[in-house]
Amino acid sequence: MRQNKLSSINILNTIFTAFALLIAVAWVILPFYWALLNSIKKPADTFSNTFIPFIQFQPTLEHWLAELSIPEIRQALLNSAVISTGAATIAVLLGTPAAYALARFKFIRPRNSSLTTWFLSQRILPPVLFVIPFFLIMRELRLLDSVLALVLLNATFTLPFPIIILSQIIRELPRELEEAAFVDGASLWQALVLIVLPLVIPSLVASWIICMAFAWNEFLFALSLTTKSAIPMPVIIAGAEHTRGVQFWFVGVRTILTLLVPTLFALLAQRYIIRGLTLGAVKG
Amino acid sequence: MNEALSQSIPSRQIHKQIKLDNRLFIIPAVIWVLAFSIFPLLYALYTSLFSFRFGRINEFVGLYNFVRLFNDANLHSGLRITLVFVIVSVSVQMVLGFGLALLLNRDILGRSLLRTIMILPLFATPVAIGYLSITIFYEQNGPVNTIIRSLGGSGIPWLSNPFWALVTVILVDIWQWTPFVFLVSLAALQALPDDLYEAAKVDGASGWSMFRYITLPLMTPILTLILLLRLVESFKVFDIPTSLTLGGPGRATEVYSLFTYRTAMRFFDHGYAAAQGFLLLIIVSFIIVTLYRRIITNYETE
Repeated sequence: MRQNKLSSINILNTIFTAFALLIAVAWVILPFYWALLNSIKKPADTFSNTFIPFIQFQPTLEHWLAELSIPEIRQALLNSAVISTGAATIAVLLGTPAAYALARFKFIRPRNSSLTTWFLSQRILPPVLFVIPFFLIMRELRLLDSVLALVLLNATFTLPFPIIILSQIIRELPRELEEAAFVDGASLWQALVLIVLPLVIPSLVASWIICMAFAWNEFLFALSLTTKSAIPMPVIIAGAEHTRGVQFWFVGVRTILTLLVPTLFALLAQRYIIRGLTLGAVKG
Repeated sequence: MNEALSQSIPSRQIHKQIKLDNRLFIIPAVIWVLAFSIFPLLYALYTSLFSFRFGRINEFVGLYNFVRLFNDANLHSGLRITLVFVIVSVSVQMVLGFGLALLLNRDILGRSLLRTIMILPLFATPVAIGYLSITIFYEQNGPVNTIIRSLGGSGIPWLSNPFWALVTVILVDIWQWTPFVFLVSLAALQALPDDLYEAAKVDGASGWSMFRYITLPLMTPILTLILLLRLVESFKVFDIPTSLTLGGPGRATEVYSLFTYRTAMRFFDHGYAAAQGFLLLIIVSFIIVTLYRRIITNYETE
């Protein structure tokens, strides 16, 4: 009798959980599917309530081809690629030795924890506070509408990610390997490059990916510092519908073109994302 | 290692050399941040003391730009909209995300797949999501209104009505950031010690009292941390309202950062925009100072 009651509660519980799971997955996936669906529909099919390609409607690649043949879009994709990879590379190059130092050396003035907090505070500062100084500085340097300006800025604001992720990972490594290398006469830099780096390559790549995705998605600085030749994807799509009207198929193509790179790469860095986004507080 | 080295080679000169070597690892990053973050910050402070004309410094006005902050009705409206956005959006994210994490904190089929899927919104370009949402909430034939109509309701003016436009912006933000609360809470829930629950079960504790007296107290620091991160990020919101509604209709979704951006880049009132930026920094710092003491244990790494 009692057993029966328990198991029926269990079944109800399982059904409820499965239902919540289904809603959660649908909630996350549907917008992406909507974008994909519109990007392969003929304009005439856009307003018909059809959801299954090949069966309900004949898909087409014409919008993809049309969008990808627009020089501005190609240029924007290229700009986004250069800005995000350039910024991520600088951030990792600067961040890795700093992370090693914070993990292995003991600084007194300022202390390690203050240094870490100081680096992390870059992610707390409101970006809009920097729009004015960056605009004025880049104007003086004649770097307005240049990819270089955006590389430099994005490297700065993504620098906390490699520092926090790598310093935690390096701290978890045993010191014995490095100490053995010192006995053999290795310098600190040799220990970092030859012993530590090969061991932390997955976290190094993950940090690079997280920086790359954040730099790719960055919008405010790109909007205020570019006018034509350095415009990246986020700026090109913002406000596009106000000039050409809402054409669902182009919105679909451009949305996917913009978010595909950061989302796909982020999946590769999965294990480090919680650590990165909580600035090291939760290991994930 | 540093200590080990200095013990084996006790010469003072070498000791100094090691100290310098140590600093060389961190100095490039420090200089970089000084050049691209601290210097611009100081430059913004300097800028805020001047009035501008045709995008050039005009004259020294002292603290006048900061005084203007108190009398600007449009700025106050932006602040109010941002506050509503932050409070509604973050509360819903916290409740939904933590609730879902509690529900799914057990061995179920496909949990790792679920975690993978939940990462997608976090890294989807916010501007692209805002842009896509124009079609999702399209009033004539958009999917949301089509579903509402097919259920017998009448279409909602998602983007043309000031109230609903703010609701739309909030909904999109909830879509994007609830997974963050979910993923972090789930990771923290899974790190909770099992033996506490087993002991409680032996003592005959109910599910609710285990939640109330074990889960909740243990999760409070993490939840506070998530709250802090979400509050700080939300106050800086810019991308979604800019791409989805351009701050409209009227000023209904003109959040703080968008107003400041316009002050700077449309009206070229650079000094005043810098002052606005500092006010936002003060607001964000206030949140951090208030909440940080409660979570400091999470950051004690040494």
